[in-house]
Amino acid sequence: MNTLIELKNITKTFDDQQVLKGINLKINENEFLTLLGPSGCGKTTTLRIIAGFDEADSGELLFDGIEISKLPPYKREVNTVFQKYALFPHLNVAENIAFGLNIKKTDKTVVVQKVEKMLELVGLSGFEKRDVTSLSGGQQQRVAIARALINEPKVLLLDEPLGALDARLRKEMQTELKKIQKEVGITFIYVTHDQEEALSMSDTVVVMNDGYIQQIGTPTDVYNEPENRFVASFIGESNIIKGTMIRDCLVSFDGFEFECVDKGFKENEEIEVVLRPEDIDIVKPENAKIKGTVESVVFKGVHYEIMVRTELRSYMIHTTDFFEVGLDVGLTFGPEDIHVMWKMV
Amino acid sequence: MRYFKNLVKPYIAWTAVMIVIPIFMMLLYSITNSGNSLVNIQFTFENFKRFTEPVYLSVFIKSIKLGLITVVICLVLGYALAYIISQFKESTQGVLILLVTIPMWINMLLRTYAWISLLSDNGIINAFLDKLGIGPIKMMYTDFAVMIGQICDFLPFMIIPIHTSLSKMDKSYVEAAYDLGANPVQTFFKVVFKLSIPGVLNGIIMVFLLSISTFVIPKLLGGGQYVLIGNLIESQFVSVGDWNFGSALSIVLAGIILFAIKWMKKIDTGEN
Amino acid sequence: MLVRRIASLSKGLYVLLCFAFFYTPIFVTMIFSFNSSKSLTKFTGFSLRWYTQLIENSEIMSAVWVSVSVAALATAISTVLGTITAIGLSKSRKIIKEWLTNINNIPIMNPEIVTAIGLMLLFSAMKFEKGYLTMLLAHISFCTPYVITSVYPKVRGLDVNIANAAMDLGATPFQALTKVIVPMIKPGITAGMLLAFTMSFDDFVISYFVSGNGVMNISMIVYNMTKRTNPTINALSTIVIVVIFVAVLVVNVIPKLKNKKGRKINEKNI
Repeated sequence: MNTLIELKNITKTFDDQQVLKGINLKINENEFLTLLGPSGCGKTTTLRIIAGFDEADSGELLFDGIEISKLPPYKREVNTVFQKYALFPHLNVAENIAFGLNIKKTDKTVVVQKVEKMLELVGLSGFEKRDVTSLSGGQQQRVAIARALINEPKVLLLDEPLGALDARLRKEMQTELKKIQKEVGITFIYVTHDQEEALSMSDTVVVMNDGYIQQIGTPTDVYNEPENRFVASFIGESNIIKGTMIRDCLVSFDGFEFECVDKGFKENEEIEVVLRPEDIDIVKPENAKIKGTVESVVFKGVHYEIMVRTELRSYMIHTTDFFEVGLDVGLTFGPEDIHVMWKMV
Repeated sequence: MRYFKNLVKPYIAWTAVMIVIPIFMMLLYSITNSGNSLVNIQFTFENFKRFTEPVYLSVFIKSIKLGLITVVICLVLGYALAYIISQFKESTQGVLILLVTIPMWINMLLRTYAWISLLSDNGIINAFLDKLGIGPIKMMYTDFAVMIGQICDFLPFMIIPIHTSLSKMDKSYVEAAYDLGANPVQTFFKVVFKLSIPGVLNGIIMVFLLSISTFVIPKLLGGGQYVLIGNLIESQFVSVGDWNFGSALSIVLAGIILFAIKWMKKIDTGEN
Repeated sequence: MLVRRIASLSKGLYVLLCFAFFYTPIFVTMIFSFNSSKSLTKFTGFSLRWYTQLIENSEIMSAVWVSVSVAALATAISTVLGTITAIGLSKSRKIIKEWLTNINNIPIMNPEIVTAIGLMLLFSAMKFEKGYLTMLLAHISFCTPYVITSVYPKVRGLDVNIANAAMDLGATPFQALTKVIVPMIKPGITAGMLLAFTMSFDDFVISYFVSGNGVMNISMIVYNMTKRTNPTINALSTIVIVVIFVAVLVVNVIPKLKNKKGRKINEKNI
C-alpha cells in the first residue's frame, strides 16, 4: 500500500498549551484510519492540520510526497465532514451538495447528475429540494457526507461525525460509513473518543493522549496488545498489575511467576501486566496460584461482572457462570492472556 | 398559571389609551377638515389629495432619496466595519462594539450640534483647509452636511445588527466553504454575506426609518430652508397650525415605513 | 506575508478612521468647552467661564432637572409596568399575546415623530395642559415597549414549572413573583431599565411635541439655543458626555470584573 499522507514531528501550541507534542504518522491509500483518544488529546487538532484549518508550529505535512503545510484549505484534495455538519442553512440539500462543484464552475447538467448519484449513495434520493434545517440529524449527516464526497477527494476527514446522533442511529451510521468507504475506495480519517466505534470500523487505530500518539495498530492489536497502561485502560476494561519481567516468556506479579509469550524486555525490568476480565477463569481454589473471595456479582446482560478480592487487590472478571458472594475461588489464565507492557513514567 | 394572567390587564388599558386611541385620532384628523377642534366634523380626502401637489411630493421624493443614499452609504461603511470587528478576538470585539455604542447613548442633539463647529464656514475643517491653501468650502446648510450628520448618527444602528449576525455565525461554515474549494472572496459572497442578510435587513430598516423621519438633523445642519418630511410635518403642527394636513402627512410617512418593513421581511423569508 | 501585513494594516486604518468619524465631533466639543473665547476654531486659552455661565443659567439648570427627573420617573414606572406585563403576557392566551405584542411594537417601529403627534393629539383632545405631566406620560408610553421586549424573552426562557414549584413549597403567588421569577429575569429587567433611561434622557422629538408652558428638557433647550453658536452648550455637552461615558463603562466593566473574580474563586476551589 502507498503512503498518501505523512506527518513528521508535528507540534502545535494554543495559548501556551501544547496540544501536539510531536506527531509522526503515515496514512495509506484506501485506509480507514481512526484517531482515538479522550477530549483534549489532540486528535481534532491533528485532523484540522491535515484539512488546513490550523497550521502546525513545526514539522512537515506531506501529501503524496509533497509538502502542503502552507497550502490553504481550498486548494487541498481533502474534504471534511464537520462535527455539527456545518450545512449551509441558506441553501437546500441539492445546493449544499453542489457547492463545491459550483465553485469550480462545473457544467450544470453534470452537477445535477452527480448530485443525484451522491444522494443515491447516501440513501437520500428525492431529497434535492428539501430545506437542510428540516432534516433529522442522521439525514443532515448524510448530506454532509455527500457534500464532501461529490468533490472526489483523495481523503475524507470526519470529525466525530456521529457524536450528535442517538445510540441506535450511531450503530446504523457506523455500518453505513464503512460501506460508503468501501464503495468509493478512498482514505477515511476518522476522529472519535468512542473506543467501540473505533474498533468496529477502522483498519488502523491511532490511540492518542496528551499530545502524543500512544499506539498505532489494527483494532485487534490495540485491544489485545496494548503497549502501555493508557491504551489498556482506555480501550476495554482491564486489570492492570505491576510486575517484573524475569526473562523472556517469564513474568512475576502478585508473588507468583507465570509463563507468558512476551519477549524483548530487559531481565528483571519493571513492567505492567494487563489481564482482560474475559480472559480470567474462575476455578476451585486448589487449582490456582492466585486465590481470593468473591466480593460482588453484577449481572450485565450477557455476562456477570465479578469482583474477586485477593490478598493484594481486587480482580475484575467477566464470565457467563454465576458465583456466590463469599465463595473462596482461584483465578487462572493462559500464557497468551498475559499482556506485558512498558511501564509508563 | 391563572395567578399571573391578570398582570397584563393594566398594560392593555394603557396601550388602548396611549397607543391605539392616538392612532385613531390621527386617522380621524387626516380625513376631516374641521380645524383643530372636533366640534363640527366634515369628512374629506382633501388632505391626502394635497399631498400629491408638486411642492409636497418633491419633499417626499427628496426625503426618500436622501434616506436611500444614507442607507447605502451606511451599509457599505457599516458592513465593512462590522466585518473587520467580527474578525478580532472576542474580548477586543466587545471593546470595539462598546466604542460603537457609546455615541448612541449620547444625546443625538448634542452630537449633531457638535458637527456645526466642525462644518461651519469659519469652523475647524475650513480653518484646516485654509492652512493647506484650499479656499473655504461651504459645507454647512448643504446636502453634504445633512448626510454627514445622518451617517454619523445612524451608522451604529447599521453596525450593531450586522456585527451580531456575523459574530454569532458558526466559524465552521467558513471552514466548510474553504474545505469545499471556495477561496476567501467566494466564501465571503456565497456564504458569509448570505448568512448575515437578516442583520443587514435589520440595519437597513433601522437606518431608513431614522433618516426618513428625522427633522432635527436637516434643521440644524441643513438650515431653515432645508425641508424633509419631518420638517414638513413639524411645521404643520408648530407654525402653520394645520393639524389635519399634518396628520395626513404622518400617516403617509408611517405607511412608507410599514411598506419598507414588509418588503424587507419578504426579502428575508424569500432568501431562506 | 507582505500582502497579509498590508491587509491587516489597512483594516486597522479603516477602524481608526471610522472611530475618528464618530468621536471627533465629541472631542472637539469637549475641548472647546474649555476655550476662553467664543471662537469655535481657535483655542485661545483654558478657562472655565462657560461652565460658570452654565451653572448660572437657571433655564439650563431647570432643563437638566427636568431631563433627569423625567427619565428617573419614567424608567421606574415603565420598568415595573413592563416587567409585570411581560410576566403576565407569558401566561396569557395566544390571541392576547399576539395582539399585545403587535400593538407593543407600534411605538418601536413607528417613526418617533408619528408617535409624538399621536400623543399630542390625544393630550389636546383630553384637554391636558402641556407640560411636565404630559411629558412624563409620553415618556412612560414609549419606554415601556422597550422594557417589555427585553424582559419578555427572559420570561419565556423560564421553566414553566418554576412558579408552580415555588407555590408547591408554600410561597404565595406574590412571593413566587418577587422571590423566584423576578430574580431569575433580572438581567432582562436591568437591560430594559438601562434602555428606558437612555431613551427617555435622549428624547427630543416626543418631548418637543407634547411638552409646553416652558417645561423643557436638555434636548429641547439645546434645540432652542443652536440658533447662535453658544459655548455654554459645549460645556453642557461635555458634562453629559462624561457622565454617560462613565456610566456606560461602569455598567459594562463591573459585571466583567465580577465574572473574573468569580472565575478565580472557582479555579481556587478546583
